[in-house]
Amino acid sequence: MKDIYILGIESSCDETSFSIVKNGIEEISTVISTQIDIHKKYGGVVPEIASRAHIKNITFVLEECLEQAKIKMEDITAIAITYGPGLIGSLLVGVECAKTLSFLYNKPLIPVHHIAGHIYANNLVKRLEFPLIALVISGGHTELIYMKSDYSFEKLGATLDDAVGECYDKVAKVLGIEYPGGPKIDKLASLGEKKYDLPIPLNDDTYDFSFSGLKSAVINLVHKEKLRGKEINKEDLAASFQDVVIKSLTKKTMHAVKEYNVKNLILAGGVAANSGIRKEFQKLCEENNINYTFPSIKYATDNAAMIASAGYYAYLKGRRADLTLNAVSSDELK
Amino acid sequence: MKVFYIDTSSSYLYIGIVEDCKLKGSLKKEYGTNLSKYTMDEIAKLFSSLSLKPNDIDKIIVVSGPGSYTGIRIGMTIAKIYAFALQKEIITITSLDAMALSLDVDKVIVPLIDARRGFVYAGVYYKDTVLMPNQYLKLDDLCTYLDKLNKDYVFISNNSFPTLKVLPYSPDILKIVLKYQDKESINPHLVEPTYFKLTEAEENLRNSQDDN
Repeated sequence: MKDIYILGIESSCDETSFSIVKNGIEEISTVISTQIDIHKKYGGVVPEIASRAHIKNITFVLEECLEQAKIKMEDITAIAITYGPGLIGSLLVGVECAKTLSFLYNKPLIPVHHIAGHIYANNLVKRLEFPLIALVISGGHTELIYMKSDYSFEKLGATLDDAVGECYDKVAKVLGIEYPGGPKIDKLASLGEKKYDLPIPLNDDTYDFSFSGLKSAVINLVHKEKLRGKEINKEDLAASFQDVVIKSLTKKTMHAVKEYNVKNLILAGGVAANSGIRKEFQKLCEENNINYTFPSIKYATDNAAMIASAGYYAYLKGRRADLTLNAVSSDELK
Repeated sequence: MKVFYIDTSSSYLYIGIVEDCKLKGSLKKEYGTNLSKYTMDEIAKLFSSLSLKPNDIDKIIVVSGPGSYTGIRIGMTIAKIYAFALQKEIITITSLDAMALSLDVDKVIVPLIDARRGFVYAGVYYKDTVLMPNQYLKLDDLCTYLDKLNKDYVFISNNSFPTLKVLPYSPDILKIVLKYQDKESINPHLVEPTYFKLTEAEENLRNSQDDN
């Protein structure tokens, strides 16, 4: 079979990224321009600033990606683009870019759901095995997905309010930790003990999650201790908070693994870089004899390699978009 | 020489192809919030109706703003990628410069774009002279300025203003292209939208820094 080269494009939040992936698994080149430093001083991503940075960077990133790959646009088989969900202004820059390239070079356009991309980040580490359960955890998403084969998704549950990564960042903010605070909470948690009592949110038999109550509980606790004139032990609070998050995530995920009788579990999304969460799943999967994969740090956060990998399987399934493809801020993974 | 013109800085799509002083084809259509959906498709249809391939174009003239932030980025992304990928010359002009050319009257011409909260993007032109450069300002301040000019003036806009009589804008694409096609082209990497305004977050940050 002829080799298939997919150009992936990702611009759904604050990363402008292009990547070329061969046959869904072999990364030829990936370039990511991140805007973390731009948004840091605002305490989070500012959508209009993100959109402005995307259009400023886009041709530089594309050029570098093609140069590193030593591949010409003419040799690309198809273009895979994150059309949603995400920040609409950011997505639009990537979508218009993809549509323009599709028009200029007469290449097929493949619409890729951002969550599908996060799942397929694992495919760049190790070829996915099916059926599987995927837990997608990031700043914008917390979802449990069942896949019986490539590019087939069944959503089992999701967060009813805040995404887990969003909750991490907000808790970090209360503790006076600079954005993005998630990775720092993870580090602090490893130094502390579970001394604070926090509730496990939505502790039921559904596959849904909830994190806004946990966030409020942390905020209330910090205020109460302040009123009492006591100083919060940040390490211990981080450890207590992370413990509750891990309990909530592992309980629901392992329940799904058992109910759906699958032998494969994957973690996906930026929060999959959290060492505490990774370790606990590792332990549980070893105990239950489950194949467990998580993306390398490089592929955990937003990047176009994962979009190109997912795009390859969407391409094989005949998924195509025409030039009227539009960006959407929210959309179910199908 | 073939020139491709694109303006998506409002809720309207304006595209055209000019070849050797002739407008070969064009489209002027209001899309509202669907501009991002249809722009590229309409461009492909225009090219196909003229049996043109993307590589047949020599130059791109793109309207860089000011106007709708999202709108501007649609046309600018298309033009930037087009020029970069196929190594075409790219020229940017402002939406107000384009609007000023659509009328042929012996009066001061004032193209106007609603920037909300009593502000507008505007420029003031008389024949080939720019009396007031393109800027973001209070509509009241603009009116005061115009009254002091002591000349007849006419507003042109796609927006309506309760206190002003404005003429609707319809671009004269041929005239715009002929006037600007020899303007110096820019490296596509460096082509940027004309916003004339910081984002709200940047303004708030700047104000809080000023206060300290």
